[in-house]
Amino acid sequence: MNCLLCQRPLTTKLTLKWVLSWQPIVRPVVCSLCWQGFRPIDRQTACPDCGRAQLQPQVCRDCRRWPTQTQFYNQALFEYNSAMQAYFKAYKFQGDFRLRAVFQARLKQTLSTIKADVVVAIPVNPATMQTRGFNQVTGWLAAGENDGWLVTLATTKAIKQATKNRQDRLLTTQPFQLAAEHPDLTGKTVVIVDDVYTTGRTIRYAAMVMLENGAKSVIGLTVAR
Amino acid sequence: MQAKELYGRQLLLTPVEAQQLPAGTQKLPALKVTGQQVQCLRCGSQLQRRWAQLPDHHYYCYQCLTLGRVSTLTSLYHLPEPNAFTDLPSLTWDGQLTGPQTDCANRVKAAFQARQRHLLWAVTGAGKTEMLFPGLAWALQQGLRVAVASPRVDVCLELAPRLQAAFATTTVAVLHGRQPAPYVYRQLTVCTTHQLLRFREAFDVLVIDEVDAFPFAANPRLTYAVEHAVKPTGAVLYLTATPSRELLQQVKRGQLTISYLPLRFHRHLLPKIQVTLAPKWWSHLQHGKLIKPVQRWLTQYATSGRRFLIFVPRISQLAIVQAAIQRMFPKMMGLTVYSADPERLDKVQQMRDQQVQYLVTTTILERGVTLPGIDVIVLGADDAVFSTAALVQIAGRVGRSRDRPTGAVHMVCASHARHVKQAQRQINLVNRKGQRLLNELSTLSTTANH
Ligand SMILES: [Zn+2]
Ligand SMILES: [Zn+2]
Ligand SMILES: [Zn+2]
Repeated sequence: MNCLLCQRPLTTKLTLKWVLSWQPIVRPVVCSLCWQGFRPIDRQTACPDCGRAQLQPQVCRDCRRWPTQTQFYNQALFEYNSAMQAYFKAYKFQGDFRLRAVFQARLKQTLSTIKADVVVAIPVNPATMQTRGFNQVTGWLAAGENDGWLVTLATTKAIKQATKNRQDRLLTTQPFQLAAEHPDLTGKTVVIVDDVYTTGRTIRYAAMVMLENGAKSVIGLTVAR
Repeated sequence: MQAKELYGRQLLLTPVEAQQLPAGTQKLPALKVTGQQVQCLRCGSQLQRRWAQLPDHHYYCYQCLTLGRVSTLTSLYHLPEPNAFTDLPSLTWDGQLTGPQTDCANRVKAAFQARQRHLLWAVTGAGKTEMLFPGLAWALQQGLRVAVASPRVDVCLELAPRLQAAFATTTVAVLHGRQPAPYVYRQLTVCTTHQLLRFREAFDVLVIDEVDAFPFAANPRLTYAVEHAVKPTGAVLYLTATPSRELLQQVKRGQLTISYLPLRFHRHLLPKIQVTLAPKWWSHLQHGKLIKPVQRWLTQYATSGRRFLIFVPRISQLAIVQAAIQRMFPKMMGLTVYSADPERLDKVQQMRDQQVQYLVTTTILERGVTLPGIDVIVLGADDAVFSTAALVQIAGRVGRSRDRPTGAVHMVCASHARHVKQAQRQINLVNRKGQRLLNELSTLSTTANH
């Protein structure tokens, strides 16, 4: 098999340690060179509110602009650098669904360390679902379909995210609502998974819906920040 | 969308674009799913079901994504090619072909006229492009749609201005991945073979230049692209200096006709590859030393001032080789260069301007760069990074000028390798044909003198 990102042949080296550990062998899907392009974020020093990579664990400038929210924080796995940008270009915009495999194991492993009662993915709107054919977040977690009970309001698809500046994005009103049939959130800890934390608007609005429906606390988990 | 933009094309359109289509537009499926098989109908790839899968029993092609993703959610749109051309262009080139070139050009024209699948095996430095002109001029005058395609963008970029100059009264369409200009319907197109995937039964005459060029040599999609872009009644001409086994097999099976141009424009044979077996060339270098034969060649160059290229298999070896040369020949000026080298163009220019005597390089200089009067040394020619085609091309850098039509091609191998032997054999074969042609030519000129 070839590296999913650079197409060069993958060489899997079985170390003695691996063999003796009796763990199931997770076959890598990207080469070590490509993997090194992604910069993991150190949770010890990241912004405690949004998960941004920093040298000191203090609330970052962006987060100070949000109203204090004690029931929500975001955790991010990687920095949004050029390697990550190239990844999202190929995965989301070119629609190469194979690339879900790149972060699947890492994201599932992180999820298993969070004590959550309910896990939900940010949905993609129906028009995107029609053309792209998959939800990039549930691609990492499940089969690539929307979870179904967190839905976007129809009006939000009118303007594409990318064409809006930061102010516009912050001003847009609540884009989410819960479907008629949804899990009981009362007193629960909910993890909302998304691809990138940029302004925080998307995931914070989703968190707001959860809290309004009785959730005790909400944790955001994003692949990039 | 105008009808012209769909003539002979198979386009992936957005739902909005697909709302307003000219009358007669055909909507074609992009993927064929049968049982366990998933095949892309744009690029022809057989896909692994597991990887081609989208949610909800949909599938996509992961092999031709750079042209926009095709899937079972999308379709391809097509209008048959009507050859709607006016002001048919004629040849504005006023150069002269040599005798053997004229013979070849006539053969090419005849292949176009008979709508054949033809292979023209012309040695490096034979002047292939000019030999196309008479055949292309005929086709364009007939109102036929013509494309010249190559797997390599740089070959296209070099071809386009030459074809434009040769047919100055028409506009040549140039299509490749780095081209931002929108598509325009033209009678004569220069494009990458990758762009052919956007055409369907469009061309009456399709020329594939440098068909065996790295890195697409073994690409099965190439054949698919060619067969779909050409009309069922069309002619295909493959041009190469180093035909692959697959192409030669097609010749054997009678699917391709073949003609040769075994002589360069200056009528000299190709320099032979001289192999030096040296199992320890690399371990010597790791100790900062060059093996004896290389020392001997370089000593000659140091005295004569002759320029030369040294090819090595890996980028990491460049600096080590150059350091060893500098230690022995401190006065000889040279540079290292590799494909992704940010200063690549500048360094090659310094070599052209004779500011440096040599370049140590990886395979990238094998094509397109003409440096008169050089010799070539390949270290580790038996390494798998050098294909037979690459070695023939590297050897083809030597003896390109009328002033010095000969030169040395040294290949240092740690062990015997089949692809080195094959490269030698290919060169010997065309040289035998070349010698025969030379004999005929000399008989002709003697008869003419009487
Ligand atoms: Zn890679
Ligand atoms: Zn923050
Ligand atoms: Zn395809």
